[in-house]
Amino acid sequence: MKITLTVNGRAYPLDVEPRRILADVLREDCRLTGTHLGCEHGVCGACTVLVDGEAVRSCLMLAVQCDGSSVRTVEGLAGPDGEPHPLQRAFSAEHALQCGFCTPGFLMVAAGALEADPTIGDDPERVHGLVESNICRCTGYEPIRRAIMRAAR
Amino acid sequence: MGRWTRREDERLLTGRGRYVADMAVPGCLDAVFVRSDVAHGVLRTVDCSAARRVAGVAEVWSATDLSELPACRQAAADLQDLPPVPHTLLARLSTEEAVVGREWPVLVKDRVRYPGEAVAVVVGEDRYRAEDGAAEVTFEIEALPAVVKPAAAAEDSVRLFEGLSNVAFQGVAGEPMEESVWQGAAAVVEARYRQQLLMPTPMECRTILAVPEGDRLTVWCGHQMPHRLRRELATLLGWSLDRIRVVVPDTGGAFGSKSAAFPEFVAVVFLALTLRRPVRWIEDRLESMLTATRGRGQDQRVRLAADADGHLLAYELTIDADVGAYPHLGVGLPMQTAWMAPGPYRTPRVHATVRSVLTNTMVTYPYRGAGRPEATIALERSMDALARRLRIDPVELRRRNFIPPESFPYRTPTGREYDSGDYAAALDLALETLGYADWRAEQARRRGDSGALPLGIGLSCYVERSGGEPGGLHEFAAVEAHEDGTVIARCGAAPSGQGHETTFPALVAKTLGVDEARVRLVEGDTDELPEGLGSFASRSAQVAGAALQHACGLLIDEARGCAARLWGVPVAEVAWSDGAVSPASGGSAMGLAELVKVTGPLRVDDRFESGMGFPFGAHAAVVEVDPELGTVQVLRVVAVDDCGVVLNPGVVAGQAFGSAVQGIGQALYEGVPFDENGVPQLANGLLDYLVPTATEIPPITVKDTCTPSPSTPLGAKGAGESGCIGTPAAIVNAVADALQLADADLLQMPLTPDVVWRAARAPKLRESA
Repeated sequence: MKITLTVNGRAYPLDVEPRRILADVLREDCRLTGTHLGCEHGVCGACTVLVDGEAVRSCLMLAVQCDGSSVRTVEGLAGPDGEPHPLQRAFSAEHALQCGFCTPGFLMVAAGALEADPTIGDDPERVHGLVESNICRCTGYEPIRRAIMRAAR
Repeated sequence: MGRWTRREDERLLTGRGRYVADMAVPGCLDAVFVRSDVAHGVLRTVDCSAARRVAGVAEVWSATDLSELPACRQAAADLQDLPPVPHTLLARLSTEEAVVGREWPVLVKDRVRYPGEAVAVVVGEDRYRAEDGAAEVTFEIEALPAVVKPAAAAEDSVRLFEGLSNVAFQGVAGEPMEESVWQGAAAVVEARYRQQLLMPTPMECRTILAVPEGDRLTVWCGHQMPHRLRRELATLLGWSLDRIRVVVPDTGGAFGSKSAAFPEFVAVVFLALTLRRPVRWIEDRLESMLTATRGRGQDQRVRLAADADGHLLAYELTIDADVGAYPHLGVGLPMQTAWMAPGPYRTPRVHATVRSVLTNTMVTYPYRGAGRPEATIALERSMDALARRLRIDPVELRRRNFIPPESFPYRTPTGREYDSGDYAAALDLALETLGYADWRAEQARRRGDSGALPLGIGLSCYVERSGGEPGGLHEFAAVEAHEDGTVIARCGAAPSGQGHETTFPALVAKTLGVDEARVRLVEGDTDELPEGLGSFASRSAQVAGAALQHACGLLIDEARGCAARLWGVPVAEVAWSDGAVSPASGGSAMGLAELVKVTGPLRVDDRFESGMGFPFGAHAAVVEVDPELGTVQVLRVVAVDDCGVVLNPGVVAGQAFGSAVQGIGQALYEGVPFDENGVPQLANGLLDYLVPTATEIPPITVKDTCTPSPSTPLGAKGAGESGCIGTPAAIVNAVADALQLADADLLQMPLTPDVVWRAARAPKLRESA
């Protein structure tokens, strides 16, 4: 099936099988491998990307559902001049990653929420709620929470 | 660098990390395994014919099909039968005796011994096509009764291997003691503890990509021990080592579970060589639920005796270990528990016995802590029970029995020689950080208030072992100075999230006195370093760090020698400071880069051997229990760890925190439930196997004390496993303290609401008793 995905502002005309999940198409057809698959059943959130600004598990969405949509992945977080996103800097500053496998998912969950509401840092409970949505096995989450709070300041 | 705390951070935060599944290799095939849905049975038929006709399927193998295939062109091994899975002799994890007669086939030949064991492998143009093919493979298994509990399996009424006992290994540490020891004691605590099976659950499951290139093979793998994998694959293929290159790119966590060669790895390598195409296997989460190695898995009985003053007299630990269906990887692992049974106490008599039993489950293998959590939990739960029995504060009981700082090196009754320690200092810091007296006051207040939820305080003091076992305490390192002023450091470690690229160059720069930005680390590539051991047993800083420091010292010696020859002076008259040589008599210094330009390349390679390290610490937890709901609310955790000299405080504290969270997972949430047929009830993956999420994280304070290890000049001990070792018993002890249980055996991990609710209804300790 012929579709066009707009990923990080670039159009990708693709011919994909309808059964292919968005994560696989991003990783293999678009060669954007920053989106990781940690469970392939929507629990861990490592594969989270933004589709039209909304955080979605890209393992639970078919690529064909995103025809014509705008997709944003971790590769598109930095500014056009290559300047890192405040979340990327904050994650590093707070030791919010170790192995880095779950990290893109946390970044995109937080980026989507921050862009929808830049005041989210005023409500620590909402930030905590974001961190609760994904799984990390290395850090114990607290550094991730601190990083999002730091970026939201 | 600058804006990034770790060198790894930039690529990992921008999507430019490269894990095995991210590698783009033209023509690469994906392997998918067809797996048994029963725990134990006789494989009657496997039919792959329909699968072979599926579009995009390149090859399908079952064990019986292999005899019809041509011999592998590149492999010395006869492909009419894949070689069996290798076994681990390192650290005595397995033994020749245990594996004799117990072959672990890569694909099931006649008997299925664990659920998920592979009966066939399908390779396809992509994962989708390989799964299409896998769906068409049909097989029949005649089910046999399954055994999943070690005590039941040890009866041998159901045997996994005909003619052989399920008891595959027995071991002992310490001397047996006569009954009079127990009879003469003022108090004897007896208890049983279940150390449940756990899934290490790194966020990246297992991965391997095998790429044939000419007469060589490159293997990309998320792995902790690349040189070991190279050696094992070379042996299987009958190849010389130099024909295989193993590269470990970014690895998404390991926690001990990624250091072996697994059945799937063997299949992938032989498929790649037979098909002359790159083949990869990217394990998915659901298959890992059945076939990833498990950790822990011990049923323990203990006896702990003390005199009326609380001085420990004797400790006996009897372990029935569940080692899974094959003894190849971890049959000897429970000896780590036996050797560490004495903990931080000067108990004069300690006797620990191990019986490792084969069961119809996936194989047990090291998981973060690897035998030491089981030792600590058994002992520390017993210490709290003893304190209740003797009506001594659990803090005081521990203080009376600690091995005092002046007693090191201290030889335990089980034969361990502890290097250094100040156990009371760690406990004091933990209590002070927690506010112990205040929580005890709050506990007393609540006990007088019938409307308040009960509160409990739990302690856990631990000593563990890091670096490895004799024969595996060394590491290889190389340091090379270049004309452009860069320094390349190489070592045999292979990280999976520990920040080596940041920490090791900093150490090298500091040791040489050069700019940190000039130092680059190369590791995880067997073509870059002839030999290496890897990252396991918390050994990176302790052993690989010390090896790099040692190599830097040799490089300085070489540089001074070069300068001496250049200047025509004795070596003793060449000084070294800040990365430069200079005449001791005075005169201008010459930097390393300049020296190399004049005198030629400078590289040193060496092997360095460490002693064992014995990190220790004290963890404390405060919990609130709702007896009506069976829920445990952890109010506070304090983790004080001592890993000697710390190279990177941020990295070590981060690992201590994350490790404590894994310890909370073990105490409260994680476990592998089995149905009556021995099949794990984990069909919903991470919805069934509950690793902690942010919702479950209490306030945790991590602190440290520093008692350097005398085992190396660097003085580092192992870090990173502390939370899995120290935290679980603190939490369980806190729950037992809250519930004032007469029989703490009722609390077996994980302390789910069901377990706690039942325990809350059991008889209490009588205040007047």
